[in-house]
Order: sequence, then structure tokens, then C-alpha cells
Amino acid sequence: MRADKAPHVEDAPETDLPETDEEILTPEQLAAAWAAEAPEPAGPVANLVSSLVAMALGIAGLLLSLKLGLGTPAEPRPGMWPFIVSLVVAVLSVVQVVIGRAGGKDGEKFSSYSWYAGIGFATLVGMVLLMPVVGFEIPSLLLCFVWMRWLGGERWRSATMYSILIVAAFYAIFIAALGTTIPRLF
Amino acid sequence: MKKQFTRRAMLSMAAATAALSLAACGGNVGGGAAEGATFPSGPVTLTVGQAPGGSTDLIARAAAEGMAEKLGVAMPVVNKPGANGALATQEVAAMKADGQNLVLLNASLITITPLAVSASEAVTLDELDVIGGLSQDDYVMVASTKSGVKSVADLKKSESKLSFGTTGVGTGSQLAQALLLAQGDIKGTIVPFDSGSPALTAVMGNQVQVSTVQLGEAKPQIDAGTVVPLVVFSSERNSFLPDVPTAVEEGYDVPVSQYRAIAAPKGLSAETKTALVDALKAATARDSYKSFNESNMLSPKEISGEEVVTEWNELAAKYKKLTEQYNISLASK
Amino acid sequence: MDFFGPVLDGFGVVLDPTNLLYCLLGVAIGMLIGVLPGLGPAATIAILLPLTYGVEPVTAIIMLAGIFYGAQYGGTITSVLLRIPGEASSVVTVFDGYVLAKQGRAGTALGIAAIGSFIGGTVGIIGLTFLAPVVASFALDFGPPEYTALALLGILLVATISGGSKIKALIAAAFGLFLATVGRDIFTGAERFTFGNLSMADGIDFVPIAMGLFGVGEILYNLEERHRAASAPATVANVWPSRKDLKQASGAIGRGSVLGFFLGILPGGGATIASLAAYAVEKKRAKDPSRFGKGAIEGVAGPETANNAAATSSFIPLLTLGIPANATMAIIFGALLIQGVTPGPQLITEHPDLFWGVVNSMYIGNILLLIMSIPLVGLFVKILRIRAAILAPITALITMLGAYTIRNSMFDVMLVVLFGALGYLMKKFGFEPGPLVLAFVLGSLLESSLRRSLLVLEGDPTGFFTRPISATLLVTFVIVAVWPMIKTVLDKRKKANAVLSDPKVKEKV
Repeated sequence: MRADKAPHVEDAPETDLPETDEEILTPEQLAAAWAAEAPEPAGPVANLVSSLVAMALGIAGLLLSLKLGLGTPAEPRPGMWPFIVSLVVAVLSVVQVVIGRAGGKDGEKFSSYSWYAGIGFATLVGMVLLMPVVGFEIPSLLLCFVWMRWLGGERWRSATMYSILIVAAFYAIFIAALGTTIPRLF
Repeated sequence: MKKQFTRRAMLSMAAATAALSLAACGGNVGGGAAEGATFPSGPVTLTVGQAPGGSTDLIARAAAEGMAEKLGVAMPVVNKPGANGALATQEVAAMKADGQNLVLLNASLITITPLAVSASEAVTLDELDVIGGLSQDDYVMVASTKSGVKSVADLKKSESKLSFGTTGVGTGSQLAQALLLAQGDIKGTIVPFDSGSPALTAVMGNQVQVSTVQLGEAKPQIDAGTVVPLVVFSSERNSFLPDVPTAVEEGYDVPVSQYRAIAAPKGLSAETKTALVDALKAATARDSYKSFNESNMLSPKEISGEEVVTEWNELAAKYKKLTEQYNISLASK
Repeated sequence: MDFFGPVLDGFGVVLDPTNLLYCLLGVAIGMLIGVLPGLGPAATIAILLPLTYGVEPVTAIIMLAGIFYGAQYGGTITSVLLRIPGEASSVVTVFDGYVLAKQGRAGTALGIAAIGSFIGGTVGIIGLTFLAPVVASFALDFGPPEYTALALLGILLVATISGGSKIKALIAAAFGLFLATVGRDIFTGAERFTFGNLSMADGIDFVPIAMGLFGVGEILYNLEERHRAASAPATVANVWPSRKDLKQASGAIGRGSVLGFFLGILPGGGATIASLAAYAVEKKRAKDPSRFGKGAIEGVAGPETANNAAATSSFIPLLTLGIPANATMAIIFGALLIQGVTPGPQLITEHPDLFWGVVNSMYIGNILLLIMSIPLVGLFVKILRIRAAILAPITALITMLGAYTIRNSMFDVMLVVLFGALGYLMKKFGFEPGPLVLAFVLGSLLESSLRRSLLVLEGDPTGFFTRPISATLLVTFVIVAVWPMIKTVLDKRKKANAVLSDPKVKEKV
């Protein structure tokens, strides 16, 4: 855990850096650096859970396909093909449960920072729900602000300023210039 | 000529800017225009349930151009493809009946699609005020040159089993072909494609021997001799294919065509409806619209909204009766 | 010189200053709009169509060709910089392009893509000029059985190009195939897995899936990653590809051009399969295949060249046969109809000026694109210098608004968000989105072609092997599928032999 690294200290300079050539790493060095920082792999429990979820999806697909009717190979009904595909999903998931029981090297463990992604998702859902009701401007503004101020660690002033600028730019592009029918208030 | 060209370009640019600046004022969520405002109180949107570039979309754009001029506001065409147009139609039907939102209707959605989908998804004209009819688009049955089939009689005589391409389930192409095959007692395999273009391509390559597609699509191929027209499904001979017999002439009761009309949500005020009807009349009277019809093989069918409702409902009943009589099911197989 | 007369006249038409200006305008606008995620070539052309109404037909088409090229390249830019593929044929570019960008080599990736696109496009146009009538019939020889074989081969390639766990990639691919079945069954009209929602009646669109799984998934992941690992990503070195890069990519560009040209002629899915095949070929040929997915320059050069060559050759069926090969071509078809020109077998004889004007405008559009992209690459790469905290909401919003414009549907926006969450979770659990998205694209082609084939062949599967093209494709399929297995078996036996070459058991060998 690296909780000591406060998320708000990421203070990159405002303007472009003058070429800081010495900081450019070769791809190999970078890969090494990334590997050193790489999070722990998801592990056996995550493998079991994800494989079981995939299996559940496969079984759900099988049941729904059965409801559509299979028919015969010569005269397939709508459920035949999805049935085959779902069967593949379900069978492979079982295989994965067994093969991946040691955990493997892929995936990543969830950490306390994963909440950031959760909050991000929640704001996106909120935007989808609000957009048809009050247009895209206000939800976009809120989303920008939340993402910059709390998820990104910008200062109040810059977060406010950039949010307004971004929404104005989007309005100019999508509404004024392209004339799309995105729900809007103004 | 160059001078004229630049002027046209300038005009179109000016028109585009005007449309954009008009579109750019006022939101499009919630109430929008104030109650009792005179029509039109801003751009009138024409929603199309098909993807851009197809014949339905082009018809909408041609009509919108003229209507916009008469109404004096922009008339953007918005494509909301989905479920054969049912999605767009249901959406517009649920909007406020202020005339600011119109939808372009395909007759097949009302007359044929209900034969193929469950009752809950079927769209009826009850929720709409039809402004007026536009045009008739005919289906033609074409055969590949390699198949050697040159007429409906050849189909009946054919010794090898033929494949028949359609443009999809619940389309006029499927219905017309199925009725003809049933009435003529012709054996064949029906092969559905996603749309007209792949069905036609398959005939050109003799992947299937026969397909029924819309005339506008098939005409260039017929002219070039890459496919052979067998029969058209309009009740009278088509002026664009005067030498091709109709199904009725050949002794089959298959009057299937595609019709198109413009409609608004139910409950337009009398003035608004009059304004829209006048705008539509002005649009269809324009020379550019007429030549558009001509070059796209569309026969004008500019009937009133009431006539559209009666005719389409009659057709729907007729198709239902025919499919029951010949025991055809569009939905399965 | 019956042939060259009209060709040269065509150049005269294109080089007219007005037309040249419109072409330039088209390329510029196309690139600027195409760079907005969700607005691929088809959507860009649909939006800009009204601009061409009042213009002479030749000029209008020249402008559209310019928009087409510009938008095509615009999509590449988002794939590389933001991991948002604008259309199916640039999904493959994401694999190595985005990694290159993270390594600070976005300029290299975009530069190679521009050069590859230019060469691929040029090969395509030269082919279009000289071979169009000859190869056009190739598209007609492809019936349902051939498409089935092609789609099968495509799915197999999807499985081979993945980098991580094979089983997980296969699960993702199979799930992609399942998602492709959502919607109204085109054979029976039955609603499949739509739960009565009309928005899903036509199935799920490719764009929300790709933008969600790749784009939004990555954005959500970065929200977390930024805090977990505080180190900033690599400094953006705005380097144009070096001579070494070019040399490394040259083979890929050559092979991609040829693959793209021929596969692009096929209506439906040609460009996607071309980009996939190009990637697979490069990976197979590479001495060290493990570089792929970790920033291999050939992994960008091959598919980008192939999809541009394919985009160009997809004009062949449109202009010579009157068949629109994909959604973009369908819109160009519509634009031609608006101009009073009906594309078809007779276009070349009835409107030679227009035919050659269009073909030659592609040469010009292609060159203009290359000239414009060189300075613009530097500009676009600067996007990456924007602070992550500010770039994230911009990308998220642009993705959502872009998704809305495809079908003017809020439902699609919701899908983007949901697939974004799925993409994030897949990343956390070690599933790759690539196989899912690509299998999704090929899924409906596979199912409908297979069922159509069974109808045409009257349920007799041997029919697949009596048709020369489908037989060839299926044999290729078997070789590609079986060869790695044989190879592992052989390798194992070799190793076993090495171990067993113990004197005691020698007689057994």
C-alpha cells in the first residue's frame, strides 16, 4: 500500500516543458519501470470469481437460447447459434476455473484507490440520467468539476475555470458547428 | 459557368450557416417553445427511422428541403435507425403535438411488419396525424443472367431448385415474393439478406438465382444487363420499366409496393396542420423534387393524410388476409 | 490511347483550383471531426453532407473523398492517443499504437500510420485505376459459403493475436459472438435477448461497445492508476519515425497494402478482416512475437496500411458494380444519388469525367492527407501533454457525446458507460477487450453467412468444400489452426527425444 502518496500532489507544470531530453526513457527502460510498479496480479480468488461470473453468463445465455427454440441443424431456430456460443462460454469458464486456480499473472488486485473508478462510473451514470432531463451542459459541468477537483486533485480555481472552458468548447463544436441534436438547455 | 458555380456554393454555404445559427438557439429538452406560440416557432425536425444514405433518407431530405423553404425555418433531418423505423416512429409519436417534430413513415412498417413481429411491437397510425403521402417505390423481381430465367413462367418450369433472396423479414420484398411463390406453387428456398444491396449483389453473382428488391436499387443493374427483370409488383405497369409485366397481369394477386408519408404526433391544431400540409404541397410541387423522384424511380403518390390512413389500413388488412389465405408466415422460416 | 485519355482528363478536373480547394477543405474538416470519438468516416460524411448540396457533382464527390480520407486518419489518431477506436478496422491499431503512445512514442506511431496509410491508399488507388473492372467480379464470387469461411478465419485470427491468457481471450471472444446475436433475428424476425427494448431491435452498435470497452474502460482505470502509481507516464517525445522505425515497418506496409487491397473489395467486413489479417501476419512473421501488444511498430504499420488500402479498394464495387461495400460507402452512394448520379455498371461509360475525377481526387486527397498530417501529428501529440486530471473528463465527455450522435440515442450513451464499467472490470480480472470487440464485429457476419449457406446448400455441409474459394479459405483455416498444435507436439517430441537420448532407452528412438 502506498497510501502515503497523496493523490493531490500531482502538480505537473501548466505549460509544456522545454524539452527535457534526459528524462526520455527507452521503451525497454520504461517496460522495466512499469514492471517494477505493476500492481499485484488479481490472484486465485479473483480468477475463481470472474470465471464463475463468466460461467453464469454462459448458463444464462444457454437458458435464454433454449427459450428461443433450437430447431435442428438443418432447420435452425433463432436460439441455435446463441446456444452454441453460450455453451462455448460456459465450458471455457469451467476450464478457466481449473487452469487458473493458482492465480496466474494477469489481472490486478483491487485497492482502496479502486473507489476512484467507482466514483467515476457513478458520475457517468448520473450524467446519462440527467442529460435527457436538463440537457448536457449542467451535468457536463458537474462531471468535469468532480473529476478535476476530487478525482484529479486540481485546485478549486483551475477546476472551475477548465470545466467552464470545456463545456463551452463542447457546445461550440457539437451544437453550434456540427448542429447535432444532443439534448441541451440553451 | 464558373461564376454560377461560385454563386451556388456561396448560397449553399449561406444556407448552411443560417440553418446552423437557427439550430443553435434555444434548448431542445423539456417544454421548449412557449404554449400558444405560433407555428413554426423554430426549426422543424424530420426524424427518419433509417440510416443515412438509403432511399428513405434521401426522400426525407428532398422533401425537407422544400418544406423548409415554405415554412421559413430550418428543417434538419435526423436519423434514428432501429427496428425498421418503429423506434423513430414511437419516439416522435410520444412528443408534443406542436408540429415541430415530424417523422417520415414507411408504409411497410404499418402494413407488413406487424405480420412478422409480436403485436406489442407493431406500430399503428392511431397515434399519428398524417400530413400527406409522398411517393410509391415499387418492388421488382430480378433473376441472375446465369440462371437462364427470363419470366415468371420460367420459374415455374425450372427443374433445379432455385434460391430466392429477400431484403429481410417483414419487408415488402419478403411478402411479395412469398405470395408469388405460394400462388404460383413455385418451389424454392427463401434466403433473407440484411438489406437490398446484398440481396442484389447475390443475384449478380448467381449466389441466389432470384431476388426481389426495390426498383431504384435494381434499375442501374437492369439497364446494364447484369440482372434480368421478371415482374414488378405494382398494380399498374411502372413508367420506369414499361416492358416488364406486373404480377397482376401475370395472374397473381400480389399488389405490394412501398409508400412513404410524413406524419406528426396526434393532436395537431388545425392551423398547424394546414401550415404543414401547405408546406408539403409546396415542396412536392418544386421542379427539383420532381426530378429527384424521376431519377430515383419513384412514382409520385401525393395523397392527403386521410387517404394515406385509409389506404394503408386497407393494405394492412389485405396483406393479412392474403397471408392467411395462402398460409404464409413471415415470421418463421 | 482510349484508356489514358479519360484518366488524364480526370487529373485535369481534379487539379482545377476550386476542386483542389474543396479537396483540401474536405481533408481538413474530415480529420478534425473524425478525431472526435464516435464520429467515424460514415458519421462525419453524414453530418457534412449538406455542405455539398449546392456544389457541382464532381466537386462534391471530390470533397467527400477528402472528408473520407481525413476522417479515416482522424480515427487512427484517437486509437493511438486515447485508445478509442473509431471504427472496427482500427481496433487492431489500438493494441500496439496505444502502448507506443504510453511509451512516449505517439509521434512515431502516428507518423508510421500516416506513411502506411498513404502507401496503402496509393496502392489501392493504383489498383483501382488499372484493375477495377478485373477484380470487381471477385466481390461477386463471394457467396454465403465464402463469407462463412472468411469469418471463421477472422475469428481464428482474433484468437491468435491476443497476448495474455488464451482461454480468457477465447471466453471474451465467445462472449463477443454472443453479444452479436442480440437483436431481431434476420431469418425469423424473432427478438433475441432484447427484453422488449426497441433500441436493441437492430442489435447493439459496434461503436458503443468499442468506445466503452476500450475508451471509457481505460479512462476509469486511469482514474485509479494515477493515484496508485504516482510516476507520470513517459515524456512525450515528439519524434517523427526514425530511419530504423521505417525500415522495421517497411515489410509490414508492403504486405498490408496487398492484403488490404484484395480484402477491401469484399462487401461487408473486408476492411476489418484485412487489418486483423495484417496484424496476424506480422506477428507470425516476427522473430520475437512477444513484442506485439507491447509497442511493436509493425503492429501499427501493418493494420493501418491494410485498412486504408481496403478503404480505397472498397470504392471498386461501388464505382464499377454499384454495390456499397459498407456503411460509409452507402452514404457516399446516397451523396451521389443526391447529385443525380447513380453509381452502377454504367457509371464509367456514362460519366467518365466523374469516375476518373473521383479516382484521381483520391490521389490528391491521399497526398494532401500526408502533407497535412506531418505538421498536425506534432499538434495532436501535444494532447498527451495535457494534465491527466483535465484530459480525463474531456475524453469521457467527448466519448459520450460522440456516442449520442451515431443514432441520436441516449440508449447508446448508456451502453458506452456500461461497457466502460465492463472494460474496467475485464482489465482488473485479466480479460482483454480486443478479442471481444473483434469477435463481436465478425459474429453477425459468421452467423448469418453460415445460416444462409445452409439454406443455399440445402443443409449439405460438403458444399463448403466443393466451391473453390471457400475450400481454399477453409484449408487455410485448418492450417492456421492446426499448425501451432503440430508445432508444439513436434517441439515437445524433440525435447523428449533430447531427454530420452539416454543410452538406456536409445533403441526406442
